Amino acid sequence: MRFISHACALRKRGQTVMAAAEKPTKGKLLAALDDIEVLSRELIEMLALSRTQKLPQPGEDTEQILELLVQRDKEFQELMQTAVEQGKVHQEMQALEKEVEKRDSDIQQLQKQLKEAEHILATAVYQAKEKLKYIEKARKGSISSEELIKYAHRISASNAVCAPLNWVPGDPRRPYPTDLEMRSGILGNMSNMSTNGVNGHLPGDALAAGRLPDILTPQYPWQSADVSMGILPPHHGSDFGLEPPGHNKENEDDVEAMSTDSSSSSSDSD
Amino acid sequence: MHLNIKHFLAVTISFSLLSSAMAGVMETEEQARHRFQLELEFVQCLANPNYLNFLAQRGYLREKPFVNYLKYLLYWKEPEYAKFLKYPHCLHMLELLQYEHFRKELVNAQCAKFIDEQQILHWQHYSRKRTRLQQALAEQQQQQQQTQAPSHGNTTSK
Repeated sequence: MRFISHACALRKRGQTVMAAAEKPTKGKLLAALDDIEVLSRELIEMLALSRTQKLPQPGEDTEQILELLVQRDKEFQELMQTAVEQGKVHQEMQALEKEVEKRDSDIQQLQKQLKEAEHILATAVYQAKEKLKYIEKARKGSISSEELIKYAHRISASNAVCAPLNWVPGDPRRPYPTDLEMRSGILGNMSNMSTNGVNGHLPGDALAAGRLPDILTPQYPWQSADVSMGILPPHHGSDFGLEPPGHNKENEDDVEAMSTDSSSSSSDSD
Repeated sequence: MHLNIKHFLAVTISFSLLSSAMAGVMETEEQARHRFQLELEFVQCLANPNYLNFLAQRGYLREKPFVNYLKYLLYWKEPEYAKFLKYPHCLHMLELLQYEHFRKELVNAQCAKFIDEQQILHWQHYSRKRTRLQQALAEQQQQQQQTQAPSHGNTTSK
């Protein structure tokens, strides 16, 4: 009996030592219950023993046990109180946690929406920029429709980009300047020019003589010192209709026969 | 087709004009105009694959000054210059000529012939398309007339 009460006292001391380690309330409650159980059992044993033995035991043990029992009971009650309070706190905590979760999910959703909005705006801005870029590009490259039509007529009427409808293999016309055309141009006549000495004479002469094809060397009314700026030659309408090369033959003294490296001559002729 | 050596002479003369212009020597307006015409002619001659083969076989396409000249000629792509071109195929050839591989390949006569054939076929593309469209249109009209003819018969009988 003393041993048991001694054990209880030891355990209590152990408990106080362990209080720093935060023994869970449940454990404490269970321990207290155990103690009460043990004590009450002891008490009952003692009472039973004293009844059978008919010997009045020294009341100390009984008193001690009773005291311990009362003490344990008090502890138990206190622990129950603590447990109840802890339960309340725990419930509050849970409620708060739920709140926190809710807020968290709200924030996440807002974040998603923000991201989406940013993405959409970024796309819109990007597309707008692209559009502006293209507008700028188109504005830079704008050409009057009249000029376009003129040019389209120029390259089509002479069959330079589209074959004539009655073209058959064997037709000497080509989408590029042919042999004869090349010889009839300025480049083909450079030797004549060097003998004549002065630039610019020959084209005028040849044009005057009506021999040069104005296909390759249209005459430009020059406007400025800038090499290239000139408008299209005045006589461009019908003259750009393709004429058979026979019309504009030069005097062929200076044209030498060529070597026959390429087989193209066979493809040109019948 | 081939051109004689005087053609090359012409090109070298234009080269020298060009180099003098580039060197800061003022070329007269007359000279500038002349050079313009020369270059216009020359760039359009590039549309002729046989001429390109000619140039390649004589080794002109290997010379660095010539390659630089070809690069310089790219100004014909600008709209204000391109509007003077009668044979626009030359621009595509000019672009291709910027690549060394193409210049090397042009030495073969096979290559030039192939390009010539394809070019002519492409040239005929629009006329072919037009004749096809016209045929389709004619067929459609025929069909319409056929479907109309029986219905006329029905209405008159009623």
